Amino acid sequence: MVEVPKLAKDISELRYSALNHLWMHNRDWVKTGEDGGPDIVVDGNGIEVTDIEGKTWVDVNGGYSSVNSGYGRTEIANAARAQMEQMQYFPQGTTTAPLIKLAEKIASLSPGDLQRSWPVSGGSEANETALKIAKSYHKRLGDNGRYKIISRRGSYHGATGGVMWLGGGGSSRSDYEPAVPGMIYAPQPNQYRCEFNGRTDEECAIRCAEAVENLILFHGPDTVAAFIAEPVSASSLAAVPGDPYWPMVRDICDKYGILLIADEVITGFGRTGKMFALEHWEIVPDIMTVAKGITSSYLPLAATVSTSRISDVFAGEQNLFRQALTFGGHPVCAASALANIEIIESENLVNNSARTGLYLLNKLKELQENHPIVGDVRGLGLLLGLELVKNRDTKESFTPKSGMSKILNKEFRANGLILFATDKGVSLSPPLCIKRSEVDFIIDGIHKSLSTVEKELSIL
Amino acid sequence: MVLTDEGEQLRRKSLEFLWMQNRDWVSMAEEGDPLIIEGGKGLRVTDSQGNSWIDVNGGYNSVNVGYGRTEIASAAYDQMVRMPYFPQGTTTVPAIQLGKKLAEITPGDLSRSFPVSGGSEANETALKIARAYHRRRNDDKRYKVVSRKGSYHGTTGGVLWLGSNPAAPRGDFEPEYPGMLYGPQPNSYRCELGGTTPSECAYRCAKSIEELILNNDPDTVAALIAEPIATPLGSPVPGEEYWPMLRDICDRYGIVLIADEVICGFGRTGKMFASEHWGVVPDIMTVAKGIISSYLPLAATVVSERIASQFAGEENYLRHVFTSSGHPVSAAAALKNIEIIEKENLVDNAATVGEYFKNQLMGLKENHKIIGDVRGLGLLLSVELVSDRRTKIGFPKELRVAERLNQKFRENGLIFRVGSEILNIGPPLCITTSEVDEIVSVLDKSLGELSTEVDIK
Ligand SMILES: Cc1ncc(COP(=O)(O)O)c(C=O)c1O
Ligand SMILES: Cc1ncc(COP(=O)(O)O)c(C=O)c1O
Repeated sequence: MVEVPKLAKDISELRYSALNHLWMHNRDWVKTGEDGGPDIVVDGNGIEVTDIEGKTWVDVNGGYSSVNSGYGRTEIANAARAQMEQMQYFPQGTTTAPLIKLAEKIASLSPGDLQRSWPVSGGSEANETALKIAKSYHKRLGDNGRYKIISRRGSYHGATGGVMWLGGGGSSRSDYEPAVPGMIYAPQPNQYRCEFNGRTDEECAIRCAEAVENLILFHGPDTVAAFIAEPVSASSLAAVPGDPYWPMVRDICDKYGILLIADEVITGFGRTGKMFALEHWEIVPDIMTVAKGITSSYLPLAATVSTSRISDVFAGEQNLFRQALTFGGHPVCAASALANIEIIESENLVNNSARTGLYLLNKLKELQENHPIVGDVRGLGLLLGLELVKNRDTKESFTPKSGMSKILNKEFRANGLILFATDKGVSLSPPLCIKRSEVDFIIDGIHKSLSTVEKELSIL
Repeated sequence: MVLTDEGEQLRRKSLEFLWMQNRDWVSMAEEGDPLIIEGGKGLRVTDSQGNSWIDVNGGYNSVNVGYGRTEIASAAYDQMVRMPYFPQGTTTVPAIQLGKKLAEITPGDLSRSFPVSGGSEANETALKIARAYHRRRNDDKRYKVVSRKGSYHGTTGGVLWLGSNPAAPRGDFEPEYPGMLYGPQPNSYRCELGGTTPSECAYRCAKSIEELILNNDPDTVAALIAEPIATPLGSPVPGEEYWPMLRDICDRYGIVLIADEVICGFGRTGKMFASEHWGVVPDIMTVAKGIISSYLPLAATVVSERIASQFAGEENYLRHVFTSSGHPVSAAAALKNIEIIEKENLVDNAATVGEYFKNQLMGLKENHKIIGDVRGLGLLLSVELVSDRRTKIGFPKELRVAERLNQKFRENGLIFRVGSEILNIGPPLCITTSEVDEIVSVLDKSLGELSTEVDIK
């Protein structure tokens, strides 16, 4: 067992090791050291985690929008242990019982005729697999010219060599140029900042969908392999597209023979109040990718789920889809996923996500009335976002120079919240087992934090 | 064990709902596949019919400590009960301890780990760090990456284009990633550059990489990535000159040297890391597989402080995130796995039993003309079959040599999948000499039969 040190001296030694030997996310080790070293979490229960000094935090981010069933689920640990004691690992090609059961479960939960799962270990791998399947699918049908991929500005689909070039914008990936060839970027259907000045959700949705069709026509329909999008984009602060968007996108893809890939890595497994978010619009994609909530991050697992129309093209020895990942279909991860899905189902967490999500949304809207810094409040289920602005009339965003996100992040901390703000705003995605009383605690913390920021930056 | 009925039902479901690697569901159905593996201990695994198998492949060369290590399950359980997960912006005790452990056991000044969940992710991370490193130093033109024909570095969108494998063409996934340069593989049995000894081949192959760099504007090359010993083409051990020369070339042209120790690391070749055989310290080393013996998904990109220091300072951080980076449960399992490797001296065992194994294979070679070459280091060994030792020519496709062998190995209780005429051996490092004898005797018998069938005397 990995012992958790208790003495201050040992804890500071541990922090020193972290600063010297770990490469952490979204921060560097010099500044982190100046700030007293990284937080080290050692315990978790429900929506709370405890750090090594014994301080308790409410995790409004839910890991990376991933710990759907919450912390402290011993059932998942039991399932993982039982499987690991019995059969630790075997490469896929032969297979193991929990993996088969998981694949069957995914097929039964997924909308429409999505039915065959390629299991992997993370959302990036799942999306890479989806792109590769899409490109190969067309080639196998002799439709050789299709390789371009349409994604949307402001979306995020992962960090590996292919998918890192999807979505995004700005300078976040200039370090890694050149980009993969064939990337096409469509607008994000974010009504609050509609690129086409659509005045209503519907109008923005229709224009953004039409823009997809125009891009296809401009680039040549026969050269486009796939369109990939999150049903609701967390990285665009949970902008929910107007109702016409998804049906229109589905029709456009069908019209031009383009595969529709739904990235349900965040939105899947109840996050938006349905098991999968595209169910809100009764749309069935050709390929769906899932990760995060499928195991609530208790272990790394993800999957690329295809309809049989797609996968049948790869049936038969000569038609093999050529890809292997060492840890793909890991039996221990599969067993954990099954235990996790059982919790989601038996505790009706999808319903709770819808109901408590609505409660949280309404509370945030109330906050907006008292906080001029809140430009927009939006989201679906327990995937919610706040856009923060300097001025509501002009909708002007904060720049890094304003220091807004720094102050806000400090305040969230002071109020016991694990909640990460950027200068654009805040995205909320707590575990789906959250209770109303916990929502009230979070709202209170956000209220106090926003008040301080508004005071410091004189936003009235 | 599940009842046979239930096993059969599961098997059918797997064909309906699972998309498996390297096999398709139609031919698997015809052959009564897939096997459903239910338990394991040491080198052996059991399927749902109760058959026992010896795993010569060691689960993609990854199950270094062997099957059935309940200590690892306990370590994972204890961690999961307490703290199942947290993003790597904050961190956890096992993630830190693993970072520290990796710094201790990796060679030279490799000291900072970016933990991820697989070898592909580790190599993608290495490429991103290498490219970003140059940009941060305003060495803006560098983006090209040198890899070697016949190498494999993973399957995600960037690393998929490194190396090559004639048996798995990548046309389906075109267009290729920009900036890929391909050098020769220092395989002295089939030296592309005509070298007749390992040294000569090594020298020529390293020189050829230098020429490749010179011909493609050295100021535009970001990194060179290579496995110390490349498995796909049958683990050719490069001559002594090779790795020191690569190190020099990279230094001369300011290129980041990435050693892919995904297979070689954690004792596989008889040293903790294979780069140690030649005393070379890469700038970045990637590890996966043996770090956790595949008990859970985990890998890491280990970086020298010289490279990492470019990313120190608040605005300089690397923009790169994976949800499961530094997973505390995987980290706890990895720590226990490394503890087993150290406590049981599995690295030494890989060296000694590996040498015994190789000698036995050499013995087979004397009796079987069909064996063209036996090579490798530690427990990363290969046997290459030929129809004629002098011309080194392989076999016509119609003879289906790989399929025949797969069939024979299967009938004789070996999990030993052969993809071509090269037999790659990578068993758990806890293998004993008597288990080696068992495997070698099946090989002896199978190769004898095969030789008769394909008429090699
Ligand atoms: C929508 C979406 N897709 C893909 C990914 C990539 O997943 P991973 O980090 O597991 O590779 C993420 C991760 O945050 C995501 O939010
Ligand atoms: C040398 C090498 N590098 C990288 C990889 C990719 O690792 P993974 O399958 O975990 O993505 C492999 C996998 O076999 C490998 O052998």
